Amino acid sequence: MPETGRTKIVVPDRIQRGDIIRVQVLVQHPMDTGFFRDANANLIPPWFIQDVRVRYGDAEVARFEWTSGISKDPMVSFQLRAEQEASLTFVSRDNRGNEYTGSTEIKFATT
Amino acid sequence: MTDSIERRRFLQAFGILGLAAAIEGVSGASKRLPAAVRLSRPGPDDPPIPNEAVQKIYDERFQGRTIQHGKVTLDMPTMAEDGRYVPVVIESELPMAADQYVKSVFLIVDHNPDPLVTAFHFTPAIGPVKLQTRIKMKRTSWIRAIAETSTGELWADYLKVETTLNGCG
Repeated sequence: MPETGRTKIVVPDRIQRGDIIRVQVLVQHPMDTGFFRDANANLIPPWFIQDVRVRYGDAEVARFEWTSGISKDPMVSFQLRAEQEASLTFVSRDNRGNEYTGSTEIKFATT
Repeated sequence: MTDSIERRRFLQAFGILGLAAAIEGVSGASKRLPAAVRLSRPGPDDPPIPNEAVQKIYDERFQGRTIQHGKVTLDMPTMAEDGRYVPVVIESELPMAADQYVKSVFLIVDHNPDPLVTAFHFTPAIGPVKLQTRIKMKRTSWIRAIAETSTGELWADYLKVETTLNGCG
């Protein structure tokens, strides 16, 4: 049973200060458009993430507008400048007002 | 006599059309190559605005400013078998520095019910634009990737993607 809103953030294992790293985020969400019907021919109501915030340390570094045109169980990846050891947080909010949060720590390799 | 002139005219006209068709066939074939194989893309003219929904996005987000073609690259399969999951890669050589950076990237699917599928808004803390995501497509459509810089410039790339299975409902 999928857990709606579960957010996974993938960053490289080994990061050094100043690296430009690839951040990949996976969120479990149906992203229903509202145009499909269920087995009883009833319309499945729209249910999708529409607002995404990416926080790194104290700052909001990116914001994404999403629609139901993003595929089910959304995936997005982008590049981040790893300038500080801090938490990287991905907060998404859907059209029903639910808020989902996932977080990972950016830590620099010691050697 | 009249017949032979008619015939010659017909052949001349048809010959030109035939040549045009042959050229179109060649360029059409090159467009169907997988994105990864295309080394240089044919410079398509900017696709015309197809409907009011896309016009509204242009009015609201770009306010009639000039959109130049280049400096941003849109990569997608030119034939998307499943409209529910269509991979998208957007890259740009535009600088990401404190004084000049890519402020936003817009992804528009002309013939989707809600054409502005996603918009990314960045700060300079984000690295050079290299974005991946998966989108839905209702049917065959032009796709527009438009980057807006902090200085107000707009750069775009366009691809026509063919879709058979409706991913939007």
